[in-house]
Amino acid sequence: MSIQDLIMNLQKYWTGQGCYLAQPYDLEVGAGTMTPDTFFRVLDKRPWKVAYVQPARRPTDGRYGENPHRVQKHFQFQVIIKPSPADIQQIYIESLSSLGIRLEDHDLRFDEDDWESPTIGAWGVGWQVLLDGLEITQFTYFQQAGGIELMPVPVEITYGLERLEMFLEKRDNIYDLNWSSDTTYADLRMREEREFSEYNFSQANIAKLRKTFAMYEEEAKNLIQKSLLLPAYDMCLKCSHVFNLLDSRRAISVTERVKMIGQIRTLVNQIALKYTGREASS
Amino acid sequence: MDFLLEINTEEMPPAHVKAGQAQIEEKLRIELTSAKIGIKDLKTYGTCRRLIVVGDFVPAQEDREEVVVGPPKAVAFAPDGTATAAARGFAKAQGVEVGELQVVKTERGEYMGRRKIEKGKPTSEILLKILPQIISSLSFPKMMRWGESPFRFSRPIKNLLCLFGEKVVPFSLEGFVAGDSTTGHKIYSPQRLIVKSFSDYKEALKKNRVAVDEAERKKMILAQMDEKLEPLKAKLYPDEELLEKLTYVVECPYVFLGSFSKDYLSLPLELLSTAMREGQKLFSVVKDKKQLPYFLGVADACKDSKSLIKKGNERVLKARLEDAKFFWEQDLKIPLKKRSLGLKQVIFQEKLGSYEDKTLRLKKIVSYLCDKLEAPKIKQEVIQAAELAKVDLLTEMVREFPSLQGKGGGLYAKQEGYSSLVSLAIYEQYKPMSLEDESPSSLAGAIISMADKIDSIVGAVGVGIQVTGSSDPFGLRRNAQGICKIILDRKLHFSFYRLLDKVLLIYGQKLERTVEEIKSLCQDFFVNRLRYIFEKRGYRYDLINAALGASIDNIYYSFLRVKALDGLKASPHFEPFILMAKRVNNIIREQPPFKINPDLFLEKQERELHSTFSIIKENVEPMISKGDFSQAQNIIFKIQPSLNSFFDRVLVMAEEKKLRQNRFALLQAISRLLLQMADYSQIVVEGEREVKAQGSK
Repeated sequence: MSIQDLIMNLQKYWTGQGCYLAQPYDLEVGAGTMTPDTFFRVLDKRPWKVAYVQPARRPTDGRYGENPHRVQKHFQFQVIIKPSPADIQQIYIESLSSLGIRLEDHDLRFDEDDWESPTIGAWGVGWQVLLDGLEITQFTYFQQAGGIELMPVPVEITYGLERLEMFLEKRDNIYDLNWSSDTTYADLRMREEREFSEYNFSQANIAKLRKTFAMYEEEAKNLIQKSLLLPAYDMCLKCSHVFNLLDSRRAISVTERVKMIGQIRTLVNQIALKYTGREASS
Repeated sequence: MDFLLEINTEEMPPAHVKAGQAQIEEKLRIELTSAKIGIKDLKTYGTCRRLIVVGDFVPAQEDREEVVVGPPKAVAFAPDGTATAAARGFAKAQGVEVGELQVVKTERGEYMGRRKIEKGKPTSEILLKILPQIISSLSFPKMMRWGESPFRFSRPIKNLLCLFGEKVVPFSLEGFVAGDSTTGHKIYSPQRLIVKSFSDYKEALKKNRVAVDEAERKKMILAQMDEKLEPLKAKLYPDEELLEKLTYVVECPYVFLGSFSKDYLSLPLELLSTAMREGQKLFSVVKDKKQLPYFLGVADACKDSKSLIKKGNERVLKARLEDAKFFWEQDLKIPLKKRSLGLKQVIFQEKLGSYEDKTLRLKKIVSYLCDKLEAPKIKQEVIQAAELAKVDLLTEMVREFPSLQGKGGGLYAKQEGYSSLVSLAIYEQYKPMSLEDESPSSLAGAIISMADKIDSIVGAVGVGIQVTGSSDPFGLRRNAQGICKIILDRKLHFSFYRLLDKVLLIYGQKLERTVEEIKSLCQDFFVNRLRYIFEKRGYRYDLINAALGASIDNIYYSFLRVKALDGLKASPHFEPFILMAKRVNNIIREQPPFKINPDLFLEKQERELHSTFSIIKENVEPMISKGDFSQAQNIIFKIQPSLNSFFDRVLVMAEEKKLRQNRFALLQAISRLLLQMADYSQIVVEGEREVKAQGSK
């Protein structure tokens, strides 16, 4: 099974569970959690079921295409269901069986791993799912996002597509994976990994990035004032990515890190409050 | 009658399972006892997916007798024995005949009353009521919500099973009604199993690949491990914590032996075993303390006939070891000394500065400690170790595996050719990690460890970081206990108060609180930590308070004090002496200090007491300063007869002021000597004990 087969299988499985199939968000994000299809939709009380592939960028994880496991961009398959169904764990386990994995022959474990994203004021409780020691999924019951206690509670299932594919193909190098029957991961992504690693670690212009951060932050503030919350949130995502780039240039001190994360979180929390109509009258 | 409860959940963390087991047992015991239901047996089992309670309770509450008190007997009956209106009225209100009233004896005399026997309710009825309350009240280190309910638990509940005497106790909780079914292993046997009793339950689950008893699972794991290790004549690199965790993480333990390329054996054992433990939870396999190219894993599976589990884990481990090797080699490219320049970029604490600042302080503190501990020979090397101690925070290895801090630095120092004293001191700087952990094996390591910890404590207290019940962000408790443990283990003598002064001086203007404030907070903090340590060692709380009340300037002596008191507490001299010491204290309380004038002693008994005291004091003081509190105490006991006759014959409150003050002066001198031993007023003697014990919690 190639990566594209894997994607198609998961899409089929989760749309079969009633999920609407979204398309990847068109901004740089560190995780599928950060896209509006997750972030905004978990805040309110309405039921929500969605599945989508999301490319996730983590500049510091780049290795110039030389490490068999680490890449600065990878693909997640993200599922959000709200409220969390009582048998969601079983539904998830069956998704693995639907990929042709005979679980009786393997060791499937749910290891305590609580998730937290200080940038978007979110945390949850759950596990990393290990299949024969390989982490293939992050499984989380969201408790809070944008600083707001979530009710009903959404469950988030994030498959690491490359990891899962490495398991399915029994590979130990990510670049050997088959994207399709005649195209490898290296064919599609090697050049991108090399060039972006060089950019992330050496070329990204620190001074300009700092300015950009300030610009996006200001823009977000203005947009929040005007209650244009989706565009405001886009600005926060841009801030977050710029922050990640600065981080990969090792341009951020420990105190500065706390401060910048705090700046983004403040904005995101304001957006969440306004979006849910809980904004404190000022 | 047999009781069985199973709370079936999604995977709980091991620490949660244990917390749940302990609480549910305690709470059930309390509730049943207060409901007057006899408990013949009660125990718990746990897996990551189940909290299990098994018990044997009596079938019903004890019958309860209730007495309703009516009018006094004298009012209820006329002298001729006929019932008065009062008696008739009371009987009527109670719905009985006057003849059914009985005499009830009370403190105020005899009354007429009615005894009612209330039939005990069946235990199952009580269980129905208390179980939902007990389960809802369990608390876990981190709680969560799921679905659409505000209910919080460790992880989502999936099913409830509850039987009493083979009948279902159908209590309701969060939309579940307890029944008589459960499920087996999540992969092998997710179907429903109906059970009738605990033995039936245990058997059914065993058939369906779940071993419910954690002790049994641990045995299974160890036996399978032995089986794999035997042919290799190898051993497990001991990791009790990991073993304990895995015992709870798997319901059906299956141990597999995997291997990896010998190329990675060039890496230190600590790094290899950490890379194996973190993430995959694998054990490293050693022979003669050297790593073999093998590992053991514990899977939640009943077999691995196609070796898929083993091979999968080998692939993942290879990637991790490859990373570890990369970190190790990268780190070695920059010597520690050069790397240490980066410490100024790393914040230790916002108000306390960087790790470079901390390193500078550490060098001064270790230098001071080397002087005080009379260790001039190692001083230069300990300072060198202090200089490099924190550099490993900047290495890739420690960034990836924070649990290797200290050890990592030690390994790199050794690799770079620093003396074994230096590398070992760096390696051991965080020991002991807990009261159960060992202290550093070298004096140099002990000195760095103490210096690091006292620096953190004084600094944190100085900028107002508070330790409260559950929050201790700086690990100050662990740090203070670490210092105490090192002192006790190595029998170290030095002035703790002077050390505090020194550290405060080194911090200088950086701290926000005043020097006096910080010192007194630190002393109180250490008194509490020492109390905790001594209590854990099983000493009586009042003896501990007495020992700590004397002084904790010499921490090791605090321990010798409590040990001496404990050794002497059974002596026939002990309690009379304590009473006497308290009497002395009571008499001189609130008196300003006076000076003894031997010429003013009038009575024979006071002269005698003075001379006995002087001899005792002369003998005892050298013993106290040597820390020989047992022998000192035995001599101090000898003051008792003289004190007795003094109190018998001499009136302290003499009319004449000079005489009176001189007598106070004598008692004050005695009290001062006693206080060098212990604060005896803290010791509770027979009769007082119960009252105080309640207040001390």
